[in-house]
Order: sequence, then structure tokens, then C-alpha cells
Amino acid sequence: MSTREITVTVNGRKRTVHVEVRRTLADFLREDLGLTATHLGCEHGVCGACTVVVDGQTERSCTQLAVQADGREITTVEGLAAADGTLHPVQQALRDNHSFQCGFCTPGFVMSIYGMCEEKKAGRPVPCSREEIREELSGNICRCTGYQSIVDGAEAALAGADGGDS
Amino acid sequence: MAGGSAISGLVGASVHRKEDRTILTGTGRYIDDVQERGMLHCHFLRSTVAHGRIVSIDASAAREVEGVVRVFTGADMSAITEDLSFAQPIPGLHSPSYPAIAHDVVRFVGEPVAMVVAESRYIAEDAAGLIEIDIDPLEPVMSTTAGLADGAPEIFGDVVPGNVVHTDEQLFGDIEAAFSQADHIVEQSLDQHRWACNPMETRGGVATYETGSGQLTYEASTQTTHTLRFLLAGWIRQPIHQFRVTANNIGGGFGLKFSAYREDVAVCAAAKAIGGSVKWVEDRNEHLVAAGAAREEQLTLTAAVKADGTLLGLRVTMKLDAGAYPINPPSTVYAGLVRTTLPGPYKLPAYHFQHHIVATNKASYISLRGPWAVETLVRERLMDKIAETCGISPVEVRNRNLITLDDQPTKMITNVTLENVTAAETFQKLVEMVDLDEIKREQEDARREGRLLGFGVGTFIEPAPGTQEFWAAVGFPFGSEPCRIRIEIDGKVTAFTPQTPHGQSHETTLSQLIADELGVGFDDIRIVYGDTDATPFSMLGTGGSRAATMASGAVVYGSRELRKRVLEIASHILEASVEDLQIADGVVSVKGAPGASVPMAQIAMGCWLAPEQMPPGTNTEMEFVANYDGEGGGFSQASHACWIEVDQDTGKIAIKRFLVVEDCGKMINPAVVEGQVIGGIAMGVGGMLLEHSAYSDDGQYLTATFMDYLMPSAPELPEIEIEHLEFESDKVVGSRGVGEGGTVLAPAALLNAIDDALAQVGRPRVTETPITPTRMLELLGVIEKE
Repeated sequence: MSTREITVTVNGRKRTVHVEVRRTLADFLREDLGLTATHLGCEHGVCGACTVVVDGQTERSCTQLAVQADGREITTVEGLAAADGTLHPVQQALRDNHSFQCGFCTPGFVMSIYGMCEEKKAGRPVPCSREEIREELSGNICRCTGYQSIVDGAEAALAGADGGDS
Repeated sequence: MAGGSAISGLVGASVHRKEDRTILTGTGRYIDDVQERGMLHCHFLRSTVAHGRIVSIDASAAREVEGVVRVFTGADMSAITEDLSFAQPIPGLHSPSYPAIAHDVVRFVGEPVAMVVAESRYIAEDAAGLIEIDIDPLEPVMSTTAGLADGAPEIFGDVVPGNVVHTDEQLFGDIEAAFSQADHIVEQSLDQHRWACNPMETRGGVATYETGSGQLTYEASTQTTHTLRFLLAGWIRQPIHQFRVTANNIGGGFGLKFSAYREDVAVCAAAKAIGGSVKWVEDRNEHLVAAGAAREEQLTLTAAVKADGTLLGLRVTMKLDAGAYPINPPSTVYAGLVRTTLPGPYKLPAYHFQHHIVATNKASYISLRGPWAVETLVRERLMDKIAETCGISPVEVRNRNLITLDDQPTKMITNVTLENVTAAETFQKLVEMVDLDEIKREQEDARREGRLLGFGVGTFIEPAPGTQEFWAAVGFPFGSEPCRIRIEIDGKVTAFTPQTPHGQSHETTLSQLIADELGVGFDDIRIVYGDTDATPFSMLGTGGSRAATMASGAVVYGSRELRKRVLEIASHILEASVEDLQIADGVVSVKGAPGASVPMAQIAMGCWLAPEQMPPGTNTEMEFVANYDGEGGGFSQASHACWIEVDQDTGKIAIKRFLVVEDCGKMINPAVVEGQVIGGIAMGVGGMLLEHSAYSDDGQYLTATFMDYLMPSAPELPEIEIEHLEFESDKVVGSRGVGEGGTVLAPAALLNAIDDALAQVGRPRVTETPITPTRMLELLGVIEKE
């Protein structure tokens, strides 16, 4: 199997590793780094459970290869909460709103909403109305909730995401 | 509110979920997160032919691939396993047994024909591609009609004669008299399509065999650890005392994960044969193709009614497309559920129900969130058609036939006693909350603008948990529900439940109940589930919306017994009578004299470490297994109203408003109830408008990705408004389940709204689902039916 050396920064930690060139980014994160929060719901880029933030953009990790992440900076759900367990404001907003049930799609939604909040902090336009939030979240599938509670949580998270300090 | 400190009165509050810290930080243990020492990965090669005879299979090239540890063909697997059999002593049931991996005949696209075990999933999939298999195609049976036709190929030979898995008819009351007195005969039929559970986590498991001890552990994504254990043990020839089944986080089930599957058998058998750990996680493509789907039924209802819309009698025929292989429960349970539930909360003097369950060359028919749901769908659509026939409104026809609280106790025509059933009251409340005249005006205004609106309602009862009589009529055990509760040495509490929650928030709701009953802190309680070594036995696990009543009852009764023991001991220590004692925040004190107190931790420590020194005559066992019988059980109920707008150019149906009035009795956690209701409705809406497990005529599976099988996403769903009634019964546990109701009733209200829209433009009713934009354009007469 052909391998290649890549250097990636994952949740603030820089690593240089050899990966099989055909290994997906999702499998690299889950299997090689043990970061199993990133879930695989379809492995063909539709369900959004594997969403991570790559260089500030939310991206699917199931439809790209680990070697494509060479030199890039990745944030997964494991990178959000504080070391002492304090939830990130996005996670707290989702918790306060009983947003999720089984939890499988959750990391993808957390990262998508985190991405929206980071956009807002950077002063870029973000969805305002519930309808717009629904559109923005259309790339993540949840089978349990019917989305209403997730929209509640996203709305609260966005309201709490002010510009300035991140 | 937060659930941190120990205060009483948690039941009824939307306490923060215990589960959420884990799932929001991604620290759960779903099946693909499991990593065992030396763990191997497997992949199943699956049939691409719907029906055929395996002529030859050659796995030699696959076996040569570096990293491949073992390849099992059907013959290899059958040498180490028994065939799966779900046969039960049910008269007339033809339940074929079948091998874990096919070695003779394949009967659906997706059937496993070989299994590769390798060092990685990548290698296993590579090697599977090198297996040469030659299958001689046979004519497939792709519908109930085709299966029942004269001369149809019998897909299980004489094991299932004529492809009829089961047929039966049952008569209740004097049906001939009913029809002879009728002013109108109203007929309604529906051909429902196949759609699927599609939990976001697919099926999977990790089997680990310890060669030294002979112990096998199967960690699975399952709704029922105990049933999985006893079913698998026989098929994989594993002594059951040496077999442990566990489950941790489960990414949804919706009924699918109630059964044991042939892949479970193969994975466990492979781990035993290899002497190690084997992981199986199916991908979405396999899941869509092979995991099974639900809801494919055709029903025809013929109702005898009086001129004023009063129901006199009902004849129903149902054909159920069972797919090829039976799973758990037997398909007679589905037919029994539909038959028993179909009269719903309506007065019905006479009833005849006939069913045919037909084997076809498709993946198995499986349970999906309210597996009986078609009964409500066809009944509620029939009520609208009766209204139209009699020239009365959909509201009036229901009001004239519904059983109200004043009518109860009464018996359904299917011999099920109804008591405390408030479907009529939820419907009355729903009607109060909507302005029917205004809706009519809006529709007329819209028509003048060239727009098309529709409005539909429905009502139902949900056997959650149902009653002894109900389940006896269905032909399925009602069962009691155990829970083992332990006051630990430090006064904190651990409860062991056979529930296998996968989103239903039982860690939260059961903790709320224990906190209130025992007077301990919410955070001082842990709920243990998903381990056959630790939890008491139950056949049922989590399903059928049983937990709200049954698991709740078990923890309530268990907590009360332990509370009694603690208070008796405390009464000696505090020299006060039990009646004068209270427990709050883990401390027993004398009411009105807070200084006179003893921590539960002190009592527990004494009981565990030095029971002989505790007050004589007291029970010092700080662990108790309660068995809750359900107090007769009961029903929950709801009424839905749905407003839609139809785009007459594209056929797209937009749900403009959706209103629910539900009554599940005492809500333990309203946020959890609402989550179940809304999630259930989303699934019902998705099933009616988007989702389709579709086959071609020659048996190819057509919707094998999420780009073909359309799951509802956030923009397709409305904001759902919910009103709760919370009828208080005299039962100790007055909480009823709501897990399935949304999925059961929403399709009825939605299809009634679609029929209402169609009627306004003079078009006939829906007779076939799903109502995709294309189908809607056909219904509107904009395009020709294909």
C-alpha cells in the first residue's frame, strides 16, 4: 500500500504521520488518531455526521482523503469543550434546548453550528430567521428529532455568538 | 431547568438530559467506536441477483490477499452455525429457517453470500471484490400480487406454499346485519410503499471470543440485549452462560434493531472460529439494500354506515409484503397489531378482518416506529370519505363515532377494554384550537389566487404500553418489566434496567423518578443498561414505547421498597415513627425537626458493612429487583391537524402548519415528550412525501444511497405546535408512551390534507404512496400516470 507523510494540526496539536494515500480523512481521524467523535452516517457526503472544520470551513471528512489535509488545520468536536469539561457555548446552547436524542448525528450538527457561529464572530453574514437556519442545516440529517429542537439550539447559539473574542 | 441539586419535584420538569454531555462532546461509544485488542474487520459480499441458485463460488483469490484472515462462504459458515429460525407455534405460520450466509438459493438483492475477515475494512472490501460467484437467475416475485398469482414461483418451495407466510380471517360481531342495515357502503383502499427505519447509525457489532475461558462477548447496536443473546446463542452454538451481550451508545433503532440478524450470527461465529475480535459495521449502501424495510401493505376497507355517518360495520382485507426472510417478531404480530388496533377510538359494532402475508424477493419486512401504523392511516382516511359520502364534515363524522370518556369503560370490537382513553377529548381540544370556517375561507381565497391549500385531521390511540387484553388479541406477550435498584455504600443509587435506550432519554427520565421517590440527588443516580451480565432479563428491551409506563413503574416500585427499608432503619435510629420521616437530598430527617437526621449514606454503609449491627428486624438488603406488571396498562392518544399548500406546477407539497393535541398522561419530562412527538411526525412526513425503498421489476434495489432514498432534512419539516392534556388516571404510574404516535398519526392527517386539496380541484383521492412531486402532478392531472 502506498503511503505518504503528512503534517496536520488537529484540535491545536500538530502531528506528522504516514498515512495510506487512499485513507479517508474521517478514517484517519477516527482510526489513526482515535478521535471517534466524528461519525460516519453515510460515507457518501450526504448526511453530514462527519462534518469537521478544516482551515475555518465546515467540510465533510468522509469524502476527502487524509493526504488532502496535509498542511491544514482541523477542528473536531473533541476540540470544542474546555479541558475541565466545560462545554463550548454552542454545545451548551444545544444542551439547554434538548436538541438531540440518540446523539449519532450530533457531532456533525455541533460542527456545522459552530462553523456558523465562527462566521458570525468574523463578521460574515449568517442565517437569522429560523427558516434560514433550517436551510443552512439542510446538509445535516437527523433521524430522531424532526430538527425543531436543533433549530432552537442553533438559534440560541447564534444569538450568543458575538463578534470579537472567540 | 438544570438537574443538578437534589430537590424533589423533578418529575414533570424539562430537566437537562444526562445523556447530553456525552453526545455533545463526542465521547460516546457507538459501535464503530469500539476498538478491541487485535480486532479484525469484516465485510459481506452480497447477492446482486434477486432470486437465483448459487452454482459456484470461488474465494481462492480473496484468500490470497495479504491481510485477509479468513473468508467464509455459505458452506463454511453453515458448518459452524445453525440456520436462523424464528418459527413459533403459531397456527398456519410458515416461517422458513435460513443460513447466516446463503449457500444454495439467494432470495433478495443484498443477501450475504460470503464474508471476508481481514486486518482492515479496506482490505476486506478489496478481497470481497475478488470472489467469483456464479448465480443462475430464477424468476423473482416482486409484489404480493405476483406472489399470490397462479403459477407464481414459490420462493421457499413447499416450505411456504403459494408464498403465503400466513393467512387468517377474524369476525367480530354480526357483519352481515351491519351491511344489511347500511344506508351507504363506503370503500377506501391504499397501497402503501416500502420505507425504512434508517437510523443514523447502521447495524453493527463487535464479537470478542476469549479462547482460554470460552467466553464470548458481543457488543452490538441493538434495542434488546437479552433477546439478542438467547436467539444468537443457539445459532452460534455458544453456551448461554458463556455469552454476554452488551450495548453502549446506540445511534437510533426505530424498530430495526429489535431483531437478531444473520450478520450478527456470522460475526459471532467468525470471532469464535478465529479466536479473537471481529467488528462488523455496515455502510449506508448495505443498510439501505439489505437491512430490511417496512410498511409495504395494501388494504381495502369497506364500511357500512348510516346516513348520518354512524359506523355500523367494517370489512378489511390486508396484504403484507413480507420480503423474503422472517425476522423477529413473526409477521403475524404485525397483522395482529393492525387488526386489533384498527377500530381505534371509534364505536364499531361489527368487524371482519382478513390478511395475507406474502413472501417476496425483497429484504425483510421489519418493525418501523409503530409497525401497525397503517391501521390509523386507512381508518382516518376512511372517516373522511364517510364524511364526504354523508355530506358532513370530517369533524362531525368523528364526533358522531368517537368513544368519549363518558362511554368508558367499554370494549373495542376487538375485545380490548378501553378505559381512561381520551382520544375524543384530544380531538375536541384540537377542534377548539382551529377555526374551521376561517380555514374554508382561506382555501377559497387561495383558489381565487390560483393557489391550492389543503387541511386534514386525524385521531388515534397508541398501545403504549397497551393492555394484557390488547397483547393477547395481537398474539404477543405483554410481559412485566424488572429493574434492579441498589443504594450504594455511599448512599448514591445505581439502577439496572433491561431497557436499551437509543435516544429516548431513559437515563434522564428514570433518574428523575428515582430522585423524587428516594429523595436523592439527580446527579447521584446512575442508570445502567445494555449488559446481560448486569441487567435483569426482559425479552423486550426498548421498543413499543413501553418504557414510559413499564420501566418507570419498575423504578418507582423498586425505589419505594428501598425507601421503606431505609425509613424503617431510620425510625429506629431517630426514634421516630416511619410516618414522621422524610428523605431529602439523601438525608432522612424527622418532619419539623430537621436536627434529628441521619444521612442515607450512613444507613447504607451500615447495611452493606455490618448488617448484623443494624436495628433488629429490619431489612438491610440495599438492593431490590422490582417487577412492574403495568397496573393493567393503558393507551396514549392524540389528534393531529395538518395544513398544506400544493405547488400545482411542481407538485411539491409544503406543510404550512402542524398542530398536535396529545395525551400521554403524566409527563415525566416534557422536553423529552415533545422531542418524541416532533421526531415521530418528521418520520411520518418523510415516509409519506420523500422516502421510498424502491425495487425494479426484476428485483434490483433502486434507492441505495441518500441521494436516492430521500431523508427529510430541516427545510422540509414544519414547526410543530403541541398541546398536552395530561389526563390523570388513578394508576400509580400514569405515564404513557409517545415514541411511535407521531409516526403513526401524522401520515393520516397529511394524506387527508392532500385529499382535501385534490377534492377542491375535482381530483380523486390518493390510493398509493409516497406522494412525491411526480405523483402529486399525476394526481392533479398535470401529467399522465406512468
